[in-house]
Amino acid sequence: MKAKRKVVTSAGKAPVSQGTRSAIPRRRRPSRLPPLPTGRSLAIDPAVLSGEPRATRSQAIEAVDLSVDLAPRGSGLRLANPILVASGTFGYGVEYGEVVDVQRLGAICCKGTTLRPRIGNRTPRVTETPAGMLNSIGLQNPGVEAVVERYAPTWVGWDTKVIVNVAGESVADYVAVCRRLDGVPGVAGIELNISCPNVGREGLQFAIDADAAGEVTAAVRRVTDLPLLVKLSPNVADVRPIARAIADAGADALTAVNTLSGIALAADRRKPLLGNVFGGLSGPAIKPVALRIVYEVAQIVDIPVVAIGGVTELADVLDYLAAGAIAVQVGTAIFADPTLPVRLIDELAEECARRGLSSYGPLIGTALPRRPDAPSSKGVEYRP
Amino acid sequence: MRLAAAELVDQREILPGQWLQSYHAPSLTAGVRAGQFVHVRTGDYAGLLLRRPFSFNTVDAATGILTIHFRTIGGGTEWLTRLRPGESVDMLGPLGKPFEVDRRSRHVLLIAGGLGMAGVRLLADEALRAGRQIVMLFGAATARDVYPSSLLPDEVEYVVATDDGSMGHHGHVTDLVPDYEAWADQAFACGPFPMLRALASLAAGRRARLGVASLGRKRGAGRTHATGSPEARRKAFLQVSMEQNMGCAVGACLGCVVMTVAGTPQRVCREGPIFAAEEIAWEAGW
Repeated sequence: MKAKRKVVTSAGKAPVSQGTRSAIPRRRRPSRLPPLPTGRSLAIDPAVLSGEPRATRSQAIEAVDLSVDLAPRGSGLRLANPILVASGTFGYGVEYGEVVDVQRLGAICCKGTTLRPRIGNRTPRVTETPAGMLNSIGLQNPGVEAVVERYAPTWVGWDTKVIVNVAGESVADYVAVCRRLDGVPGVAGIELNISCPNVGREGLQFAIDADAAGEVTAAVRRVTDLPLLVKLSPNVADVRPIARAIADAGADALTAVNTLSGIALAADRRKPLLGNVFGGLSGPAIKPVALRIVYEVAQIVDIPVVAIGGVTELADVLDYLAAGAIAVQVGTAIFADPTLPVRLIDELAEECARRGLSSYGPLIGTALPRRPDAPSSKGVEYRP
Repeated sequence: MRLAAAELVDQREILPGQWLQSYHAPSLTAGVRAGQFVHVRTGDYAGLLLRRPFSFNTVDAATGILTIHFRTIGGGTEWLTRLRPGESVDMLGPLGKPFEVDRRSRHVLLIAGGLGMAGVRLLADEALRAGRQIVMLFGAATARDVYPSSLLPDEVEYVVATDDGSMGHHGHVTDLVPDYEAWADQAFACGPFPMLRALASLAAGRRARLGVASLGRKRGAGRTHATGSPEARRKAFLQVSMEQNMGCAVGACLGCVVMTVAGTPQRVCREGPIFAAEEIAWEAGW
């Protein structure tokens, strides 16, 4: 019995993992790139500001198809590209309109929306932490009715899809908000925020208990056909049973992850700094944690995983794709560099063109281990 | 609101730990009004993530030069002081709503506490150009923290108070206000929260003390304006520049709110940073 060596073609296609157990797994990994002249540099590339790149991009880059369907199992949610902006960091899409070409984004996840208006938490609400920030906004928002009236008419005319982030304190709340959003022109999908760390215990409970997460997902699924994403919390011991329960309850996709719970202290160290004491940690500091959760979840669910956590440059996007995500949300980094999401779209297309790919599909899941249930072609004697 | 690379032209430490930096950024200086601010990106993602908001200290639209005045209080501001002339930083601006001076106001009272000078400094230039008389009340902890009068226009009457009495009035800057409240048509303040709160309570009792209301002066009295509207500010005797930890500075993240008497939080970056003093819920404990 001889193990066949797998042939890695030079076409740049990731080899299909057939369960071959060769001595060294031959997987094409993203090659080391020269440092990109963006992201970390402080000066803005004038080309980015003037919108130049679109006109000058080579045809190879133009030919790359970045489109993605976030809800292939359901009614479909096709985005022009896999770069989304994260809930709470981009308002309702109108705030950054003067400096960002909003129309180019894959999708916008709007600020968390609840049934009734909320005034949010006491200040201070945000503070910088090493390579990240803590926030405890407390879901300040004008309520679903106002969101539908004020912003949905604007969203209708956009190329960019808007996914409304929905939060609540009870299953009935979630159901009522989603029922209101169902069928509203301009609302392309729903992202269930069952994991906001900054509101009462009731809201958080859904994300830390598999049964509760499945229950709220199923309840919402019954009242709307809109594409349904559910945002996972990292503040749990094992996220996999929760992810599985949500997938089984009919969610179209998972978003991983929300912020990590944390605190900061006031300068005199006599009390916590944030008005709400606890805040959610975001930014580059949480990327390894988010990457781990994407890696874990992508292996056990059949629905798409949208990654979020500390994306600041193309390498982060490629990492998340390799760990099994099909799309990526950019959040905190927008505060530092509002043009980052649009630039990432261009850089991802360039990267695909450079590798000779017509879509970014082959970049997805390259770092995932062989599926445990995939049949081995080599037989038991090769098992360690 | 524009994003631009601003080139450092000049910098100096005007007071211990306080810096004045000049940047060349023509695209940011057009149409700037006193009270507005820029959001400056410092460092890189490795450690410092958020931008830092700074009030426009002075603006020269003709040469495209803007200055910011800050104290080194952390990694971001220290990073800024290590910049060398010729290097550029990424700035987003102009942001926020400006001070609104009623066109009938001849006598303008500016009140600054410590670094609050950065918030009202530009209004001195603006009001002088409009032919108004200006008194600047300034409070600091000690004489060595007193803003140099050489950096103010000559026409400004500059009155100083220090907490330890080492220069000028011995006490808080708010003690000086009653001397000028009859003279002033409008007052504009920037400084620590307790100072602004004290000024707000002084301003609230001013009309009753002076009997202004009975003189029948028309400043839109009786009409109410929406919270955060330019009219509400223009009508107010006291306008304050509020400070809050800030995230995005464009109104997206809702991090930098202040509570208003209407019970709705208002964003310092969008509806502010300038508010009519009577709009702010000073005792709400936010």
